Amino acid sequence: MDFVGKRFWFFVISSLVIAPGIIFLILAPGLRPGIDFTGGSSMTIQFPEDTSVDQKELRESLGAHGHPEATVQKMGPTMFFVRTKELDEISKDSLVLGLANSFAPNSDPQLLLQGFDLVSPVVAQETVINAFWAVLAAAIGIFFYVWWAFRNVPRPLRYGLAAIVALLHDAIIVVGIFAILGEIANMEVNTMFLISLLTVIGYSVNDTIVVFDKIRENVLVFSNRPFPEVVNLSISETIGRSINTSFTLLVTLLALYLFGGATIREFLLVLIIGVVAGTYSSIAVASQVLVTWDQKSIALPFRKTVTS
Amino acid sequence: MRRNARVLVIIAIIVALCGTVLGIQEIKVREFHRGGDTPLGLSLGLDLQGGSHLVYRALLTDSETGEELDVSENQMQSLSKTIERRINSSGLGEPIIQILGNNRLLVQLPGIRDPGRAKTLIGETARLEFKHRYLDTDPIKLESFQPEDIVSITAEDVNSDGKIISQLSTEELSSPNANIVSFPALVVDFTEKGAEEFRQTAVTLAMSWVLAMDSTRKGNLLPPDRLGMTIKGSEELRFQVAGDDIARLDGETLIAPLGTSTKFLIALPASEDQPATVINADQAREKLGLNPSISFDIKKGYIDEDIGLTGDDLENAYPSQHQGSGAPIVSIEFDDRGTKLFGELTTEIYSKQQKTGFRDQIAIVLDGQELIAPVVNSPITAGTAIIQGGDFTLERVKDLSLLLESGRLPIPIELIQERDVDAILGADSLRKSVVAGAIGLLLVLLFMTLYYRIPGLVASLALVIYALIVLTVFKILPVTLTLSGVAAAILSIGMAVDANILIFERMKDELRAGRTMLSAINIGFNRAWPAIRDGNVSTLITCAILYWFSDQLGATIVQGFAATLAIGVLISMFSAIVVSRTLMRVLALTALSRRVRLFVPSGGKDIADRQSQS
Repeated sequence: MDFVGKRFWFFVISSLVIAPGIIFLILAPGLRPGIDFTGGSSMTIQFPEDTSVDQKELRESLGAHGHPEATVQKMGPTMFFVRTKELDEISKDSLVLGLANSFAPNSDPQLLLQGFDLVSPVVAQETVINAFWAVLAAAIGIFFYVWWAFRNVPRPLRYGLAAIVALLHDAIIVVGIFAILGEIANMEVNTMFLISLLTVIGYSVNDTIVVFDKIRENVLVFSNRPFPEVVNLSISETIGRSINTSFTLLVTLLALYLFGGATIREFLLVLIIGVVAGTYSSIAVASQVLVTWDQKSIALPFRKTVTS
Repeated sequence: MRRNARVLVIIAIIVALCGTVLGIQEIKVREFHRGGDTPLGLSLGLDLQGGSHLVYRALLTDSETGEELDVSENQMQSLSKTIERRINSSGLGEPIIQILGNNRLLVQLPGIRDPGRAKTLIGETARLEFKHRYLDTDPIKLESFQPEDIVSITAEDVNSDGKIISQLSTEELSSPNANIVSFPALVVDFTEKGAEEFRQTAVTLAMSWVLAMDSTRKGNLLPPDRLGMTIKGSEELRFQVAGDDIARLDGETLIAPLGTSTKFLIALPASEDQPATVINADQAREKLGLNPSISFDIKKGYIDEDIGLTGDDLENAYPSQHQGSGAPIVSIEFDDRGTKLFGELTTEIYSKQQKTGFRDQIAIVLDGQELIAPVVNSPITAGTAIIQGGDFTLERVKDLSLLLESGRLPIPIELIQERDVDAILGADSLRKSVVAGAIGLLLVLLFMTLYYRIPGLVASLALVIYALIVLTVFKILPVTLTLSGVAAAILSIGMAVDANILIFERMKDELRAGRTMLSAINIGFNRAWPAIRDGNVSTLITCAILYWFSDQLGATIVQGFAATLAIGVLISMFSAIVVSRTLMRVLALTALSRRVRLFVPSGGKDIADRQSQS
């Protein structure tokens, strides 16, 4: 298979996947930040099973109890995730009491508060800043390691940078898809999203390194062959492993997504998207960046294809 | 071969050890104590077993300049000790208290059912105050309402759906389900601006009503705030309503001011609330006349007044029993200053009670939050008193004494983060993740065995051993298992699988190149090693950075994730390099190794042919 010759198309595909996400990110409101990033309170409320309550009624009732800013997400037939401004103990209690009296006055227990979260704006602001630095630090650390690990091949710096390009490619795809999901499905991002993004970064680099490792080996063995040909050979040799690894990982993730609890579903969605993106980017982005840099032209495959 | 045998024995010992550690629910060797009644005795995070996660920030400000001061390590230590003592002696379970950074305190309360109680116990600035709670309060005029904010005022009979009876169509009236049970109400139509302002007033009133109802249920009869109205029409009309008497006209329930209309319903006094002013719609209409005007006032249910009596004036507080009834009570003793102030307070309340009938209370307030508000049965001038309450249990009496007694925290603190998970939700998450994880793992094992045959089977065995070791390490260290940890575990399983796949692909290459089984295994492992090493090292770099950042931040979820992933990655390298390799080498020396097709599913035939020719 000629992978290298198709690199222009790979770049086109990546751009097409990334573009809608970027558009949603730039157009307000972009990512929908959860309370971890803005401060506030959130709670998971479970009404008794025989109560009839829908999202709209609950939102109106929250407004009536002094929380017009509240957002409501349905998690089960009578289970809701409610987000409000920061609530202290008294206002939390009176709100819960008020909701109980409005919707389930005669049941016992009236409702279950299954989870409650409070994040002060101080913490939220720190989280945002620290998240930024953590991602940056991780990227720099990985860059230097890859540079060092490939010190025996010509131009090792390029490998480090290409790994970072692939990593950013995957991160942007995930963030972009969540910007879209935030707009159409009210999906919020929180600390768990951040963790899953970092996991994706970890996987992406791991996968890229496997392909690069083969290139590292083949560059030294076939030092007389042109570089694009060596890269193409390396991709062909590793593609079986890439597909098998991501397949097994996807199987586990899908099993968890379908049978695991609702609480980690968002996290798993990020990983599933990330694993697909990470596998694709090792072949179609990281390796192709190396070739493009070597050929000093993206358009070259259109003039005359170089194949093995 | 001897080396392989030695490694095999070591692996067997490790497996046996892991099995034993996991098999014994609770391990206790002197100081070393692990396990408990959780699955496999693993320690579970709050998101899996339920509980409360509270982060406090110590706030030390210069009393003159208001500048924030640095908090010393000693102060943090003593803060942590005070809180630990408070929670321990309350019987709420064992807290895990940790100082984060230089001014933060993390309090974890696993399995706790009532986080509110824990928070009250911890207190914040822990300023304990005794206040005079007046129940006779004066109405305060609501100045914000101007005559031009009101469009019209009428009196109507309204049904409980919030519909005006006289406006119902004949059809609606004749329907068998017609709701014609009516009550008289004022219908006040506001301007947009007036309606918004009135809505806020109504919400405040409704909240106060809900709280009053709740306190009534707990045995403390606290009146709610009431809205007073003075209407000047052809005659003057004045009455008061509580929060449950106000609704928006297009509302769905009459308790809450829902909807968007600018018209509000205010129930006319029709019950025995204020018998002197019971009035029906016709009478009200008459009094309104043609051009009525209205002014509002708010009468607070109660007002707490500071009298300068604080926790500093309290000498002692302890749980005891009522001599007559044996009911749990709290006994308190004041110092000299406290005795004097408390004597004055109780005398004043008592004599007012005798004269006017208003039973004022003593509000005991901790950090602005009411602990309890007892009434006064007689003047107390001796400096010792007992507090009794209808809902007092041994537990509540203990908590109260503790809070009264332990006075103030060494430094004021502020709650900046809270995460409560109900135990039911936690158990549900745990069960589902375990089931899903098991299904996922089985599918992976199945795939590996079908696709890679013998090596796949070996890898599956190595994976199971890997899982055993990981769980054992988690139990021994111990690593607290959280949902993010489960995520990390999945990723590290993925990496363990990947390491095996890398090795097998290399091995296949070598077999295809015509090497013997044993040398193909050895070379395959050696060739795959740099990729495994570099991939895992870069993951470890990410883990280290995450761990360091989350330590700075006190983000325990992130930290747990990083630690779990790092452990998983290290063990996965061991499992792929040591366990898989040794098992493969041993197999290569058996008769099985001659059946190459069992090792290389595709293209295996060619190799077998070639080998038999050579």
